[in-house]
Amino acid sequence: MTGIIQNRDVFMKNIASQYGRTSKKEVKRPQWVYRPQDEVMKSASTDDLLFVLKEHCKRIHTDFYQTSVSNLPTTLRYVINEFGGGRIILPKDDRFMEYGLSESMADHHVDVWDYTKGRENIKLAEKANIGITFSEITLAESATVVLFSDRNKGRTVCMLPKTYISIIPKSSIVPRMTQAAQLIRGKVETGEILPTCINFITGPSNSADIEMDLVVGVHGPVRAAYIIVEDK
Amino acid sequence: MKVTLFSTCLVDMFQSNVGKATVEVLERLGCVIDFPESQVCCGQPAYNSGYVNEAKEPMKRMIETFKDAEYIVTPSGSCAAMFKEYPHVFKGDEKWEQKAISIAERTYELSQFIVDVLKIEDVGARLEGTAAYHTSCHMTRLLHVTDAPFTLLKHVKGLEVVPLPGAHNCCGFGGTFSVKMGQISEQMVDEKVMSISGTKADYLIGGDAGCLINIGGRIERKGMPIKSMHLAEVLNSR
Amino acid sequence: MPMKIGTENFKERVDSGIQNDFMRAAVSGAQERLHGRRLAAAEELGNWEEWRSHGEEIRQHVLENLDYYLDQLAENVVKLGGHVFFAETAEDANTYIKEVIQKKNGKKVVKSKSMVTEEINLNAALEEVGCEVLETDLGEYILQIDEHDPPSHIVAPALHKNKEQIRDVFKEKLGYTKTENPDELTAHVREILREKFLHADIGITGCNFAVAETGSISLVTNEGNADLVTSLPKTQITVMGMERVVPTYEELEVLVSLLTRSAVGQRLTSYITVLTGPKQVHEVDGPEEFHLVIVDNGRSKILGTEFQSVLQCIRCAACVNVCPVYRHVGGHAYGSIYSGPIGAVLSPLLGGYEDYKELPYASSLCAACTDACPVKIPLHELLLRHRQVIVEKEGKAPISEKLAMKAFGLGAASPMLYKFGSKIAPSAMSPFTTGTSISKGPGPLKAWTESREFPAPNKERFRDWFKSRDKEGEKS
Repeated sequence: MTGIIQNRDVFMKNIASQYGRTSKKEVKRPQWVYRPQDEVMKSASTDDLLFVLKEHCKRIHTDFYQTSVSNLPTTLRYVINEFGGGRIILPKDDRFMEYGLSESMADHHVDVWDYTKGRENIKLAEKANIGITFSEITLAESATVVLFSDRNKGRTVCMLPKTYISIIPKSSIVPRMTQAAQLIRGKVETGEILPTCINFITGPSNSADIEMDLVVGVHGPVRAAYIIVEDK
Repeated sequence: MKVTLFSTCLVDMFQSNVGKATVEVLERLGCVIDFPESQVCCGQPAYNSGYVNEAKEPMKRMIETFKDAEYIVTPSGSCAAMFKEYPHVFKGDEKWEQKAISIAERTYELSQFIVDVLKIEDVGARLEGTAAYHTSCHMTRLLHVTDAPFTLLKHVKGLEVVPLPGAHNCCGFGGTFSVKMGQISEQMVDEKVMSISGTKADYLIGGDAGCLINIGGRIERKGMPIKSMHLAEVLNSR
Repeated sequence: MPMKIGTENFKERVDSGIQNDFMRAAVSGAQERLHGRRLAAAEELGNWEEWRSHGEEIRQHVLENLDYYLDQLAENVVKLGGHVFFAETAEDANTYIKEVIQKKNGKKVVKSKSMVTEEINLNAALEEVGCEVLETDLGEYILQIDEHDPPSHIVAPALHKNKEQIRDVFKEKLGYTKTENPDELTAHVREILREKFLHADIGITGCNFAVAETGSISLVTNEGNADLVTSLPKTQITVMGMERVVPTYEELEVLVSLLTRSAVGQRLTSYITVLTGPKQVHEVDGPEEFHLVIVDNGRSKILGTEFQSVLQCIRCAACVNVCPVYRHVGGHAYGSIYSGPIGAVLSPLLGGYEDYKELPYASSLCAACTDACPVKIPLHELLLRHRQVIVEKEGKAPISEKLAMKAFGLGAASPMLYKFGSKIAPSAMSPFTTGTSISKGPGPLKAWTESREFPAPNKERFRDWFKSRDKEGEKS
């Protein structure tokens, strides 16, 4: 289904006439003179990146855990309890099974996003105390997790619950947003359809709108934790 | 080394001591000073008020005056920056653009000249006490002279330069701004004076007469025991 | 709120700014904190100047080819099933948005922070047709419930209010009973707005940057309110200034990095949300319908002029946060939702010189703004250009000033006149002089001497000294 464009021609004509030319039909994206972004943590190893990520978690009020595949269930159980347990919402993601994480949540009520239930999912997410997702790409520099939405991975899993836990496969760590942008752009170039929502999340929600005093937890989660897991 | 002095009109009329100090310091460092009598104002007051055409007349006069100078040295970051702006002002003007570029290339603020051209860091000055240094906006942000004054002050015997909180904030001079927006300017200079006073420094030192007249005028009005001195005067103290 | 705020004239606005002690303490405190944070965030990159240059080259390239990129953006949005409306004026934009909402029979609107919707006065337009419009950015929400108090800062709109004032507003308007502790105040808003999010039928956002290649829009927040605005309502309307487009995700990344570091000194803010089209068929959250409204409202007239670089702006407010004038007068003194140096440049261009002729003069030309700008807009030079236009084209300069400047041109250009004038200055000023200074100056000097001494002209000018010294030298 294609949408509608309205009032384009006169708008474009206004621009072209300001420049005293006709409308531009073909523009080549230039070779930029400057590319400072490539220099950031250029030769860092994965462990270097992990260190940067860990350090930055302190500044973004996010708990940091690092664990092995075999200990992940235990660590997750621990973090869930730290966050007060209660209802949990998960995206429908096979990785929870693959990592054997159902036992970590066995003591709690768990809802899994199920698109066939429609907006009911949103209600469940709203009721949940904890939302848990895997990070698709993780940015070391800013300690940012990147989530891709789809019908099994609702956008609000990470927004509506009171707290948020992100499981970060170590292999998902890249230096910074530059590499994420390149990865995403790579998808575009191969004709892949982009997720309707790509969210770069850095810690819990916060605001400094009152006297520039930082308040953690405004509209989204009030607490966040990252669990780094060594890859299988 | 032959130096052609651009005194600036503020120094010529209101701060002649600064001009004298500049001459004496440079002579002591082995320079021969020339002061062309035909120099006037660099045009900045009119230029910064939007009167570009009116400003061009004195600018042309200055270009003519300094056209044969080898080194043009001035005890002002702001006026030096104005000279550096001339090529921009006369861009596309067949008769004046090249000449403007030529004088801009040969213009130096005093501390910049001493440190970068003469390659001298210790001018043999002595002044007892503590000082706050005002980093004037045009010297730092337009002329990009940031280290030279501190380099020279570091070697002044008996003088301790103390850090000035909020140093990056403008003192509120801004030429015609100080009278056109007198009320805002007052708030700015008042804050500057309070931070200087908070350092308990004996001296306020600066490299631009405009800022010094502004800050010094507020210090005097408030009856504070802080002496304002131009960098040239400090370097000329023995 | 339209772009113009308040009914007072410039002088009155400056007066009330200067007299507002709380506001000034809040602003100077915020400036100090942000100054350090921004510098640290820039410095840790090690090559900040290159970042700035890269930001500048991206923005300049986009502006030069703006029609191409907007066209590409629009084509990609509609391919995904979104709709694009190009609005030449504020009225066009508001009319279209009202129609969309009425077609959906929408009543409850939630908004995330957007300067352009303030500029076009969208809220008022929607309220006229019976919508409940709710700002969800904490700062904007505070202002909205306080009888639509205007924003005083483009990033931190409620910067001029202290927590006690906010508590009192909450007590009066929301039946709030707790203390002025920001955590408690915020928790209260969270409760109220969570309900509103869940029941809203229309979500309206601004757009930090749109990506032409993918038809995406991006939203940068710390609160996460934009995520809820774009996840829960069934219709999403995004309003963007026409200049806020980038070619691809790669340029988006650079500008976002510049924005978050410059605005709040963060490597990234908590939420950078990039949305591409409406939700897909089986997706549960996200809008069923997506409209992108691209607003001109005076911007295209700036293209190709000496002021074009102002459109490079990414609304980070770094210039505002270093401005010593803003520090003392606050945002409301600018009489525009765009305050500080960027406001002083932009407001006369979008709103005309009649309303904003004083703003270009509300600067000491200290260039702190130009230095701070992450996309290298030469802000202080643009202020100078405005002054030139006011003098030469608009004829809005006072006659006395014109005469004085004419005299300056003649006097300063003629060595003879200059010498004569400076020679007689001491005697001309002698009636006002005590000792070496002037405490009550005449004419324009009055504004100076109200707060400071002005030095009396030296009896012996420097040039006289130099000359007499030369003569002495010749004698000996």
